[in-house]
Amino acid sequence: MITAIMERMHAPEKLILDCRHVGFRVDAPDGELVILDDISFQLNGSETLAIVGASGSGKTTLLGLLAGLDRPTRGEVWLAGQQLNQLDENERARLRRQRVGFVFQSFHLLPSLTALDNVILAIEIAGMDRAGERARQALAQVGLDQRLRHYPRQLSGGEQQRVAIARAFAIEPDILFADEPTGNLDRSTGERIASLLFDLNRQHGTALVLVTHDPHLAERCQRVLTLDGGRLVGADDAQAKPIAATASL
Amino acid sequence: MNPITLSLKLLGRQGQSMPLVMLLAGLAVATAALSAVSLFTDRVGRAMERQASEALAADLIVAGRERVPVEFVDQARSMGLETAELVLVSTVIFAGDESNLIDVKAATDGYPLRGRLQVSPELGADDREVEQGPRPGEAWLEPRAVRTLDLELPATVELGRRTLDASQVLTWEPDRGGSRFMLAPRMLVHFDDLMAADLLGPGSRARFRLLIAGSERSVAEFGSWVSDRLDDNQALITVADAEDQTGQALTQARRFLGIAALTAVILAAVAILLTALRYQRSQRDLIALLKCFGASTTQVGLAMVLVLAWLVLIAVAVGGAAGWLAQESIVRALAEAPVGELPPARLLPLLGSAVFTVLLAAGFALPPLMSLRRVPPMRILNRAMDRMRTPWLLSWGLAIAGALAIPVLQLGDLRLAVIVLGACLVLALALALTGWLAMLGTRTLATRAGPSWRFGLAGLQRRRAGGILQITALGLALMALLLLLVVRGELMSQWQSSLPPDTPDHFLVNIQPDQVEAVGERLTSIGARNLQIRPMANANLLRVSGQRPPDDRMAGQVNISWIDELPPANEIVAGEFFAPGATGEVSLAEMWAERLGVELGDELTFESGALEFSARVTSIRRVDWNSFNVNFFILLTPDAGQVLPHQHIASFYLADGDGSVLRPLNREFPNISILDIGALIQRVQEIIDQVSNAAQVVFFFTLIAGLVVLLAAIEATRDERRHESALIRTLGADNGLVRRGILVEYGVMALIAGLLATGGAAVTGWLMARELFNFAYQPTPILFALGFVAAFILVLGSGWIGNRSVLATPPVRILRAG
Repeated sequence: MITAIMERMHAPEKLILDCRHVGFRVDAPDGELVILDDISFQLNGSETLAIVGASGSGKTTLLGLLAGLDRPTRGEVWLAGQQLNQLDENERARLRRQRVGFVFQSFHLLPSLTALDNVILAIEIAGMDRAGERARQALAQVGLDQRLRHYPRQLSGGEQQRVAIARAFAIEPDILFADEPTGNLDRSTGERIASLLFDLNRQHGTALVLVTHDPHLAERCQRVLTLDGGRLVGADDAQAKPIAATASL
Repeated sequence: MNPITLSLKLLGRQGQSMPLVMLLAGLAVATAALSAVSLFTDRVGRAMERQASEALAADLIVAGRERVPVEFVDQARSMGLETAELVLVSTVIFAGDESNLIDVKAATDGYPLRGRLQVSPELGADDREVEQGPRPGEAWLEPRAVRTLDLELPATVELGRRTLDASQVLTWEPDRGGSRFMLAPRMLVHFDDLMAADLLGPGSRARFRLLIAGSERSVAEFGSWVSDRLDDNQALITVADAEDQTGQALTQARRFLGIAALTAVILAAVAILLTALRYQRSQRDLIALLKCFGASTTQVGLAMVLVLAWLVLIAVAVGGAAGWLAQESIVRALAEAPVGELPPARLLPLLGSAVFTVLLAAGFALPPLMSLRRVPPMRILNRAMDRMRTPWLLSWGLAIAGALAIPVLQLGDLRLAVIVLGACLVLALALALTGWLAMLGTRTLATRAGPSWRFGLAGLQRRRAGGILQITALGLALMALLLLLVVRGELMSQWQSSLPPDTPDHFLVNIQPDQVEAVGERLTSIGARNLQIRPMANANLLRVSGQRPPDDRMAGQVNISWIDELPPANEIVAGEFFAPGATGEVSLAEMWAERLGVELGDELTFESGALEFSARVTSIRRVDWNSFNVNFFILLTPDAGQVLPHQHIASFYLADGDGSVLRPLNREFPNISILDIGALIQRVQEIIDQVSNAAQVVFFFTLIAGLVVLLAAIEATRDERRHESALIRTLGADNGLVRRGILVEYGVMALIAGLLATGGAAVTGWLMARELFNFAYQPTPILFALGFVAAFILVLGSGWIGNRSVLATPPVRILRAG
């Protein structure tokens, strides 16, 4: 595992995510409703990106489209070299299980499984071997090696989120999507969790896409995209600017 | 908006939502089970009421083991009363090559004094009322007798020495009541024919009756005159006694079916509670919004009461219709043993079921629904402001007590209702405990299995309480049906095959002492095996060591025998059996001695005719009654035989079994009664079959109620499942993994439910076999195959239907959930 991480850290920067003129519209009684319109950007492996914006600006929808949980109605999303639009539900699931990690605002652990089993389940879904060993290592990395047999209800919010982070990194993803990872935590716990997330991200050389309301958290990312009314209105560095559709991976 | 409009809008908008449909289903199943039973018992009850006035075919009866003294008849006539005489005896009747045990009733002219007989010229033809019973030489047989003897009327039948002309089918006799499940079918003949048939020797099992009818005053006067003159073997039977007897039969039937209905109602109540809780959870946002817009607590409360009232109305209509159809099935199942033609079903009993459904709704659905009144409008802004308070204990307690009161009324017996409810509770707890242990086992398994197993078993653990409830409900219902459908038949056939091959299958009673030798020779010559002929006398037990014996039906008149060596199938458990040449000793069967509290060394004093004699208890025997040998509670030393008037009784196994070889014997010794045990067992089995079939109809509702619980529990956890499914699909699980996970979860539940149902049925069967029949029951693979297949179809089927939407949940939902 360590070797794989070292290799990834020394590999040349590679495009992991390419979002080309992505739009998402739904049918509403009064006609078509535009949730996202013409979003384009690229992200290299091990880069960190925050998506910020007001409520209803389309942040979470964009995260869902980038992670392959849904398909855009316009444009293309390329994840780890595969165009998501052309993959069906199960093919996208296969891509997620091998390349993508998730951290959610509400942790989303299975309450009937212990911390260890929650992590093992994700590793098994990813089809990786030595699930128990990997899960123990991942939990040790987040400082929960003494809480392996605890159920989520026996853990504090911060500890649950650490289990979720361990679950996300245990499958050695290329990219991690985090949806308001500190949103349900108090300020100091939130800061500790954010530090943990960024530290692990650095260690693993994983790309990170983070949706947040918290400007402090967003500032810790290398790049920030701002959404308003479903449109990209700001990018705090040159790479995040809209790019030409001809760009390729 | 007024509450009526609000309730109709709530119902109209959400009429197809699952919580409402399940709530309706729970109410409807309870109504159906109760309606079926109450409609049926109402019909039987009315048929019995119709008969009650005619139940004796007289106003008063003097009953006894011997013909009543002629002075009784003379006295009655002198008081201006009408009289008639009856004799009832069970005996084998021959018709061509067929023979069968028949309950013969012989009546003098004038019978019946009250009510009318009805006859028809052939099976299935229209019947007509007749004033008088059969003339001498004639025999009227009830349909079952015509069928078992395979007769085409007119035909001839042989009753002892007499050959009679079977001329009519007897479709109705007023005094048939009380013996709804009479073992042998009836044949009605003239009194003189039975007397001339030579069947009624001394000690025969015949029952004699003197029927009296007339003005109320004369009957009462005769009653008091005759009551001073009755001996110990005679009794007076009044109309009230007959009503008690028929009432008892009705009560038994009502209780049996009531218990079956009660199990359905208990499960339905659980389903109603689950769905009502789920419904109120799903309505909290809407109610908060309505309150924001100004709806008052009273308006919300009234609207909820009305929503429930509409549901009850629909449930009563649907459940009542289902109950109506089911009671027809019950009547058909019991077709061979009805109280004559039943009056048609009427709507009135449905009213009772409707009241019960209202109580059930008030007890189990109203408290959760009424709690919606207290939803704060602030919930709209912040859900955390809406803390669901536990409903007031009293409001639940009172309502549930009210709902449970009805089964008590239904069973008509508080003690029985408490026993049934308690037994259900204990059984359910035992099943739940076993289910819980099995689930603990799966927890260990979950840590050693692949992702779909881990996911499926995690779901099972997560919803363990609901899962235990589901498998308990379904296991209970399946177990009841398996007991009736499979174990019952297996018990009967295994018991029969557990008997040794030459177990006696025929009894001859009323063999006179001078006939013993000849009868023995004839029986041996026709191939009778395991032949035992024993003397038998009737005596009254007067005293036990000088004290009056306890008031027990096993005291009073008893059958006694004497022998010089311990008979087969007897084992001494206390004292020593008679030494050679012993006199004045008695050996008792353990059961009889324990019941009457008699011990070794006690002196028993008997009276037989004018003779009084005593004997000292020197041994207690354990008797294997399953051996079907002639056995007696009381055995005396052989000296008793020299002084007591007696007859003999024989038991033997007849290899060819059809009984026709006994015909010459019956002709030669017409006083001897032949009892065909095989035929008797078959009759018992037929009756058990009929009652079981009727109960199956009711237990079918229990199964439906179990399914409603299953679906209600699935419905209650649907959101949770959708969330979990979305989560693991987000983590990269494909549809196949989710589907396999659901299969694992429900497959394990089906496995445990099947295990509980088949295990419970097998253990119950084993206990019954051990305690009642004294043999080791071995459940067959059919029991397990049927139990597990049914459990898998029902649980997996419901799981699949209830979880279709879970598979369709898009993974992106997990982000929307926060």
